[in-house]
Amino acid sequence: MRSSGYKRFVWWLVASVAVMCVPFLTDNGFMLKILAKDVGTNALVVLGLALLFGYGGQVSLGHAAFIGIGAYTSALVTMRFELPWLAGVAAAALVSAAGGALLALPSLRLRGHYLAMATLGFGEIMHIVFREATPLTGGFDGLRGIPSVAIGGFVFKSPESIYWLVWGIVLVALLLAYNVVALRPGRAMRALHGSELGSQACGVDTVRVKVQVFVVSAALAGIAGSLYAHVARFISPEIFTLHRSVILLSMAVLGGTSSLAGPIVAAVGLSILKYVDSFVPGMPDAASTFLQDWELDIYGLTIIVVMLFAPGGIGGAFRSLRQRFRKKAAPDPEGEGVSAA
Amino acid sequence: MTGKDLLQFIVAGLSSGALYALLALGFTIVYASTGVINFAQGEFYMLGGMLGVLAFDSLGIPLVFAALLAILATTAVGVLFELLAIRPRKDGDPLALIIITVGGSILIQSLTRHAVGGEELATLPSFSPGPSIGIAGVTIVRQSLWIWGITAVAVVGLTLLYRRTRFGKAMRACSIDRDGARLVGIDTARVVTASFALAAALGAIAGVVISPTVPPVFYSGASIGLKGFAAAILGGLGNPVAAVAGGLTLGLLENIASGFISSTFKDGIALVVLLGVLFVRPQGLFGGRSREKV
Repeated sequence: MRSSGYKRFVWWLVASVAVMCVPFLTDNGFMLKILAKDVGTNALVVLGLALLFGYGGQVSLGHAAFIGIGAYTSALVTMRFELPWLAGVAAAALVSAAGGALLALPSLRLRGHYLAMATLGFGEIMHIVFREATPLTGGFDGLRGIPSVAIGGFVFKSPESIYWLVWGIVLVALLLAYNVVALRPGRAMRALHGSELGSQACGVDTVRVKVQVFVVSAALAGIAGSLYAHVARFISPEIFTLHRSVILLSMAVLGGTSSLAGPIVAAVGLSILKYVDSFVPGMPDAASTFLQDWELDIYGLTIIVVMLFAPGGIGGAFRSLRQRFRKKAAPDPEGEGVSAA
Repeated sequence: MTGKDLLQFIVAGLSSGALYALLALGFTIVYASTGVINFAQGEFYMLGGMLGVLAFDSLGIPLVFAALLAILATTAVGVLFELLAIRPRKDGDPLALIIITVGGSILIQSLTRHAVGGEELATLPSFSPGPSIGIAGVTIVRQSLWIWGITAVAVVGLTLLYRRTRFGKAMRACSIDRDGARLVGIDTARVVTASFALAAALGAIAGVVISPTVPPVFYSGASIGLKGFAAAILGGLGNPVAAVAGGLTLGLLENIASGFISSTFKDGIALVVLLGVLFVRPQGLFGGRSREKV
């Protein structure tokens, strides 16, 4: 157990160094900003969704709302009360987590998949609130002129600094999530995923575990919302829609269950689709326009194909690759290493 | 607000309520056979309206046949969706199926945009043109009568199917206990396909019958799907009658509340009802006490 944790930490360290080196490889500030503002914040949200989906066995169709709550909270705290960004991001995490708890407590007491439905309704309600509560949210026009991220006297203005900030937070969150998954709460979650009844019999308070996971995922979305608001410096209701929630879900699904690195890889891959022309320089215009135009079809198809033919997702593919390297065909210990061919 | 205003709101509420009822029936039928909420239900409504208008305007097919063709084609889409995306997932894991219907919803919507375009289509002509009907100072649009009539026919037909036919019995058996139904020789896979066909047909009926009043557009399925879903939850996801009662109640609540309070939050009312019922009375207003099966 210890040795596998150690190995995992080494892998994390190697991946982190690689991710943090990206700004040295390019001087394309526009690209770095997209990698932080859109890709990085999505990765942070998907990390939470991966905990919820892959370990808690629940799905959310309302996480765009939690990003929105975080974004608006953080913007209001820094603009109205003129408090520093750290206060804004703390408030964003707290308010989103509180919202998550309010939603999860009643719906997770019930058997079945009421959470998916409740989050769908919640997301739509919040979208209406963002749109109509004009004195607070600026209504349709949204909020402009949100201050840049600043810690102490340092203002994160350059694309490189923004990139390091966002991905630093994503990587730290990943490390924390690894620890959560490896320790007692993670064992409880895995037991839950295996058999809810069985885990109850072993003394796991299944409702509490599920609510905790949901609250953590809501808080991560809130932090991502705050980062987005202060990097983009503009937010409006149309950024936090049901579509966004479905797209995030498709990333978590493609990433696979019982995996954290898989969902982050999936989040990066699918988030880049929209900006594929600036990431793949040699790409013909027709191909990138096609990809952008068919973006939603690709998300929808991804969800269906993964659920039908490769329920292990990218995480499952990692696992079966690892196994093939390690020894001859030994059975997958987690029992879901269906390779994504 | 005068009594006449209230009556007018009730009439409006019953029209939109009938549409919600048709969608709620679709949710209920699929839920009964699979234990899953079909998030693609609203897309069947959207397809019904779109295909109806396309068949009438672009192909020049007479109204009645255009409407029938739209319903048939949507039913075919429902069957295809089940065969291609639901049936291959053999274990029937509800979480997986829910996620698949979410993916199907976004896929159907987006494919429709590519095929037809992002603009609102024209409306169909009214099924029976003529001035609105005034009774006791309340105006009733002629199309509302069609909406009520067709909803009533659909409900009666469905009830007969459930109560009187062998296949209806098989569907009911499936909803009580799928494994048990399979043990006594019922082809449960076929029941699931049939339930998707019925749900698609009901959604398409709602979409066609409203398209003389509301121009169809590719994104219209999501919001009405959510309302039909709220209606189904309100009714208790139990039987057809409860679904219809839930739909009508939701339509009335929505219209009367928006008359009394404000129409800005009209779309929010259904959602608040949805969350309220889920949290306070998850078995629905008209559902019996649901026993938790372990």
